[in-house]
Amino acid sequence: MRTFKLAVVGAACGIAMMASGANAASCGKVSITEMNWASSQIITEVAKFLMEQGYGCKVEKVPSATTTAVASLAENGEPDIVTELWLNSTGDAYSKMEKAGKVERLADVLAPGGVEGWWVPEYLVKKHPELKTVKDVLANPKLVGSRFNNCPDGWGCRIVNDNLAKALNMKAAGVEVFNHGSGETLATSIAAAYEDKKPWFGYYWGPTAVLGKYKMVKLSIGDIDKKIHANNSNKGIANPGVSDFPPAPVLTVVTAAFKKREPAIAELMSKVSFDVDTMNGILAWKKEKKASATEAAVRFLTQEKDTWSKWVNPEARKKLSAILK
Amino acid sequence: MVVGGLEMATYDSVFNAIGLRDWCDTAKAENDRPMSMAELLAKSKGQSGVETSWWELPFPSLDALNKACAAFPQSRDVTVGVEKSFLSIKDSLRFVLDPITQPLSWFLEWALSLFQATPWWVMIPVLMVIVYFASKSWRLVFFVAACIAFLAFIDHYEHAIQTLAIIFVCAFLCVVFGVPIGIAMSRSDTMQKLTIPILDMLQTLPPFVYLIPLIFLFSVTEPKLYGIAIILYAIVPVIRLTDLGIRLVDTDVIEAADSFGMTDTQKLFGVQVPLALPNIMAGINQTIMMSLAMVVIASLVSAPGLGVLVLRGIRNLELGVGLISGLGIVLLAIILDRVTKAALDRVNAAQKH
Repeated sequence: MRTFKLAVVGAACGIAMMASGANAASCGKVSITEMNWASSQIITEVAKFLMEQGYGCKVEKVPSATTTAVASLAENGEPDIVTELWLNSTGDAYSKMEKAGKVERLADVLAPGGVEGWWVPEYLVKKHPELKTVKDVLANPKLVGSRFNNCPDGWGCRIVNDNLAKALNMKAAGVEVFNHGSGETLATSIAAAYEDKKPWFGYYWGPTAVLGKYKMVKLSIGDIDKKIHANNSNKGIANPGVSDFPPAPVLTVVTAAFKKREPAIAELMSKVSFDVDTMNGILAWKKEKKASATEAAVRFLTQEKDTWSKWVNPEARKKLSAILK
Repeated sequence: MVVGGLEMATYDSVFNAIGLRDWCDTAKAENDRPMSMAELLAKSKGQSGVETSWWELPFPSLDALNKACAAFPQSRDVTVGVEKSFLSIKDSLRFVLDPITQPLSWFLEWALSLFQATPWWVMIPVLMVIVYFASKSWRLVFFVAACIAFLAFIDHYEHAIQTLAIIFVCAFLCVVFGVPIGIAMSRSDTMQKLTIPILDMLQTLPPFVYLIPLIFLFSVTEPKLYGIAIILYAIVPVIRLTDLGIRLVDTDVIEAADSFGMTDTQKLFGVQVPLALPNIMAGINQTIMMSLAMVVIASLVSAPGLGVLVLRGIRNLELGVGLISGLGIVLLAIILDRVTKAALDRVNAAQKH
């Protein structure tokens, strides 16, 4: 089939068509990470579909997590594509690899980036409109149940939150910091608070199914000062400052070797970028319907044709639009 | 790739044949239904009428039947149903269970603050005294002191002592509840028959499975959440071995006790329990070991202690942190094991006379 096509194309038209024919034919095996959370699984499924159906690749999904993916890239140069890589939780390991030229960042896969911050439920703000910033919370800790729901140990946000709590003198204001043991209990505490319409105050991030399903209001911690935030990301510093979380860069990264091997796929992945609100919407739908990541990906593919058709090259677009009528 | 198409064809005809087509189609209206990748691809190829060979016949599962007949529930509806029924009884369950289990939270909070507030130069001697009275062995006393001093030296004292506090409370409660349950089991065969399946289940059910409903029942910030998880897992051996120990008491001894005209209560506390003590102690030893094994899982639901460090090691691939804190757990396990074994040996030795 492949040789047949090449022969026909080559014979008929010459150089211009040769390029696109070679593109479609050359795609081989591609490995892409699938992180252990919902939005990444959807992104991976969408990318897999586009690569397989549009470009004829053989895609292998690699179940992964942030730290394991980075470690695997550093040690083995595998997998080819790492997507939804939250830069703030990779530490130095990633920047070292990037400097060494082993990997290359292709795109911000979430636009404008991941949202991190301190949140309260919407119903609480409606009941107490005076809660506008973290300062208001600290002035009236009883309104939020006098408790701050902190990240588990080992997360990047835990260090930042601990420093912020120190800088804001949270303890003296009467807010007890509760350190969750895992992301699961952190999420459940929001769900449980929402069910009983109880006060809740703590850290969360998006796009996640939780923020898609439960309406939360982000409270300003202060102005965003990148220097202070960078300083706050270090453990046990003497002079923590107050700065809100800047938008977190969430990347698609490929190995340098892969970019050379599959330039067409690298170009595709450099365009794959999801709007955070769209992603929150899909995640909320997925949770409501108890759908799988694949089904959520199908929903995105069928409903957001205008978005993804800008990502693919003309030839793949033709093939894909035959499937997704 | 065309599985969706095949199933549709297969079971479609079944429903048509029994004349249920109308009933099926009444439910077909829902547009927003999740679509799988296979369905999407099958749809684009337009293969709904392909006949399938009997060799490829899919099992008539809920999902396969749902594809042919939309009125059939999908298998995901089963999980939704389980979830909904749990959530609907949740409030009444919580109304009953919350106050009953509240003392556990108090115990844990109290023990944690007591253990942490006590300075190390009080805590270590107190532990040494306890070890001496349990084992009467100076070698063991110094071994324990050395282990704790080592943990303190590498700055793991606080985490180790938190873990120890949790284990003390949970193991103590396991004994308080486990021994009476074991005694009840040994005295009634019906009770034994009813209890053993539950014990089997508690031992084999992955701890995470019963943590999920617990998370929904109680506030995740309550210490009792991990307390219950540890107790449910660790209580099993002490129940089993108490039951076994009492049942193993020599029938001749019981006959002798009967001939002395002992009442049931006298027999139980004067003869059976003392003679079963070696087995009960072995059960307590196992219970302590198993509660220690739960420390890491308990830390996932916010238990403080060495488990937190193990989790940090796993999350950040900090090999050293993980190994050192794992070693800390092993040291605690060795201490607790040796001390309870030494106590068990003393009980055994006393019975030989």
